[in-house]
Amino acid sequence: MTDFTELSAVAMLPLGIVWHTVFFWVFAALTSGFAIAVVLEKNVVRMALYLIATLSATAALFMLAGAHFIGAMQIMIYVGGTLVLLIFGVMLTAQSAFVSMRTSGGEWVTGAILGGVLFAMLATNAISVKAWRTYYKEGTQVSVDAVETVAPIGLALVGIRTDARVESPSGPAAIQSGYLLPFEIISVHLLVVLIGAAYLARTKVQLPGRSA
Amino acid sequence: MRLNVILFFGKHPGAKRIVAEFINSLLSLSSDHALGYVVASLIHCVLLLHVIAVGALVFIWMERKVSGRIQDRLGPTRVGGRFGWLQTLADGLKLITKEDLMPGAADPLLFRLAPYLSFAASFTAFLALPFADGWAAQVLNVGAFFVLAVLGLEVFGVILAGYGSGSKWSLFGGMREAAQVVSYEVPLGLCVLVPVTVCGTLNLVTIGNMQAGLFTNWLIFQNPFMPIVFLAFFTCAMASVNRAPFDLAEAESELVAGFHTEYSGLRWSIFFMAEYGSMFVVSALAAILFFGAWHGPLPVFASISASPYLMHIANLAGCTNFILKTVIGVTVMIWIRWTLPRLRIDQVITMCWKYCVPIAAFCLVGTVAWEVTGLPWIGDMTPNRNPMGSVREHWAQDDPVASTSHSVVIAEGRRND
Amino acid sequence: MATGFDSRVVEYDVRTDEMLVNMGPQHPSTHGVLRLVLRTDGEIVSEVTPHIGYLHRCAEKIGENLTPRQWIPYTDRMDYLAGMNMNLGWSLAVEKLMGLQLPDKARHLRVIIAELGRIASHLVGMGAYGLDLGTFSPFLYAFREREKILDLFEEVCGARLTYSYITPGGATADLPPGWIGRCEAFLNELVPIISDYHNLLTSNAIFIKRTCGIGVLSAEMAIDYGCSGPVLRGSGVDYDLRRDGEERYTEMYDGYSFEVIAERDGHYPKDHQYPKVPQDAVLGDCWHRFYVRMLEVMQAIDLLRQGFDRYSAATGDWGTPIKLTQKLPKGEAYLETEAPRGQMGFYLVSDGSSIPWRVRARSSSFCNLSVTHEICRGVPIADVPAIVGSLDIVMGEIDR
Repeated sequence: MTDFTELSAVAMLPLGIVWHTVFFWVFAALTSGFAIAVVLEKNVVRMALYLIATLSATAALFMLAGAHFIGAMQIMIYVGGTLVLLIFGVMLTAQSAFVSMRTSGGEWVTGAILGGVLFAMLATNAISVKAWRTYYKEGTQVSVDAVETVAPIGLALVGIRTDARVESPSGPAAIQSGYLLPFEIISVHLLVVLIGAAYLARTKVQLPGRSA
Repeated sequence: MRLNVILFFGKHPGAKRIVAEFINSLLSLSSDHALGYVVASLIHCVLLLHVIAVGALVFIWMERKVSGRIQDRLGPTRVGGRFGWLQTLADGLKLITKEDLMPGAADPLLFRLAPYLSFAASFTAFLALPFADGWAAQVLNVGAFFVLAVLGLEVFGVILAGYGSGSKWSLFGGMREAAQVVSYEVPLGLCVLVPVTVCGTLNLVTIGNMQAGLFTNWLIFQNPFMPIVFLAFFTCAMASVNRAPFDLAEAESELVAGFHTEYSGLRWSIFFMAEYGSMFVVSALAAILFFGAWHGPLPVFASISASPYLMHIANLAGCTNFILKTVIGVTVMIWIRWTLPRLRIDQVITMCWKYCVPIAAFCLVGTVAWEVTGLPWIGDMTPNRNPMGSVREHWAQDDPVASTSHSVVIAEGRRND
Repeated sequence: MATGFDSRVVEYDVRTDEMLVNMGPQHPSTHGVLRLVLRTDGEIVSEVTPHIGYLHRCAEKIGENLTPRQWIPYTDRMDYLAGMNMNLGWSLAVEKLMGLQLPDKARHLRVIIAELGRIASHLVGMGAYGLDLGTFSPFLYAFREREKILDLFEEVCGARLTYSYITPGGATADLPPGWIGRCEAFLNELVPIISDYHNLLTSNAIFIKRTCGIGVLSAEMAIDYGCSGPVLRGSGVDYDLRRDGEERYTEMYDGYSFEVIAERDGHYPKDHQYPKVPQDAVLGDCWHRFYVRMLEVMQAIDLLRQGFDRYSAATGDWGTPIKLTQKLPKGEAYLETEAPRGQMGFYLVSDGSSIPWRVRARSSSFCNLSVTHEICRGVPIADVPAIVGSLDIVMGEIDR
């Protein structure tokens, strides 16, 4: 049904601009720009809006990298999760303290330290990826592996890793360990978080009059 | 940076590549030049925009006409000739000339942004929607998932409108919508999962192609759980696009007009474009996932669907078919809207968690059991039936290793054909 | 919690703030210009305060400056959905003061007109109630049928909303020739349509979910607040002025057979023809109030059919309206009639001149509305229109 000849030429504008790079930079700029806006904005709801924009742009970056599944996941989970944040934002803005949030000096310092550490870690990791340091001349013809990610991820989840195949005469199944255990651990972890959040959100009110 | 044009423009030889190559040949560029692809993408976007805009035009007219007939009236009769089919255009003109008001208490940025956000979400969902075999702006490997994820974003526009309007009624509407959409995403996802499990792919084009042939091959006839899932899906879809009897966010008898109480003119109409766009998307999803997508009840165009040139005729017929099915879905939504009273918010949520979710979950388990045991059902009576697994995701077909090893696993996991 | 269990500590859900919301006077479902101030916590309404007076037109004071016949058009504008019944109430009160006795024909004419007016009014009540619950179509179906009644009324008096037809002393004109036949034909059309309404609303699953057990008004409370009409009977109180009222009024219905629509032992009169009372329904809830109205339409149809024969066979004429400047005898008179919305009372005091010294009206909707703060307490916002709609108020009558 589907014949698809590999198109290995690099897409270039007549001026020699690589489209892929252009879009990468556009979405990267959007991501960073809105991330900064989240930090600088004082209104909770607007802040959530910028967060949505940041996360959506990140989803676009994933899509750009061919990871459609991760991109859609990003929209579904992270952007959807922000929705809940937004609802809480709206609900909390009844109290004036949240309408315009003020960040104290101490919070700035804590934030800067935490952010700095995280950034340093990520940057180190990113630079340590060997392939990323390799300089590809514009116009270099490279081919990419199959970009479809759903089925391999799905298979890996039930124990068949297409990326870590062990070829054996008896067949591919029944050899590898999949992602199921980590997945379940994360699920239980999320459940714990949910219960904890529900517990914390409840307020305790003392009824007047009755003594213990 | 490893890059490849395929990454960005997708692998399917869909309509886009054909258009792109045609444009490149016109400009006497090499067939895979980026310019052709850019122009082709723009053409697709503009076309989709027209699907939404003209769709809204037609659907609003239909809403008026159908509701008129249901209510023993004529509906519009004057504008644009006999059937008042230009009524929406007149409405649009009126809306454009209306004063664009913004309440003093509104948050200007959020108030202005909200309708466009809603519309953008609705529009983005169209990007992954195939109108015929390969006729999609972007054939996504995760099409069904992507459409669901993006449709869920529409709620942001509603919530921001509710908050940004600075009106209590709007706020109520926004919060209701949030509660409703967050709840209904769960059963909706579960319902979509059922046909996806049967087909073994999230790719909407592949799901569509699997249902080629006689109408008995449609997924709704695949096993006894499918009709139930379809009903659950349709219910959840109506709830997630905010249509009566689940139109709690705008509930005019309770919340004046809910989240769009303070909107007027063009911005208000953009909310409605988004709403009708979303209705189209969920109906289209129902058509693809349950009713054979672009395949008619009889395989009239089957013989020419493989030929290099005549396949476009087949696709055109398929597209007509597909839009027809979608319009039927939208009509049913309109019909329901003008018949039933509105549910209360707690009843809506109860319906989601106590009925839709268990039903969808039960049907998912049932479907899996049915498919694994390979019991026969209506679909198996189809003469010369393509086995369900025969149209594979191409990663399994083309990866030489995968096609020898893993595709076997998949085929076994699917059906015992 | 180190101290262990403390019984004074009560756990609550996420704490939220209260909000005051104005529902009306400009709101799609407040039946005119009612203003309800809702104190809400999220979707839950903790307090409802009705504010009235937005449609006050000094009708009573105007009545003290006009002769009784001149004031007839003002009664039309009170309960503008049942103008005929308002005319009737005022006419009967004036007749009571004057001690007028009417010919038989006029009596039957009034029964026919009043019951037809009741049907028209309940049709609007039913349709508007559907609208309150978010379904638009029954409203238009109801108006389609009401339109035919208005056509009949137009034939009778030339007006479609503010009739000024029934006057002290009779009516302004006799029924036109052939009118009875046309009215009978309309009733034959209407009866099967009523079952459509039952399918669309009364027995509709969503409708039942939205109305059963909502806004329960106990019989005691209904009596305490002076509720009347379908609101009272919906709470199971067997009381209808057409049977239990003053003789001056009940004699109009002499010889007519009808059962008061109220639940007795879990049954409504002749309820086997209509949808069953749903399991979730509680006596006095919105569903019962609605159901009483629907049954009263059938009751009115029955009364009309009885009236046609009597009218045709009756002797005498359709009455002689009193003169425009008729002198009133010194004294006072108060009479309540069973208008579609309940007991509509008119009171007038005369000092012997042709212009009454005092005119007052007792509004049924006013008393019916006064229970809202009791039955709307603790309900979700969506139920407020459902409850207020089930009371079927007309602001013109409340504010006067």
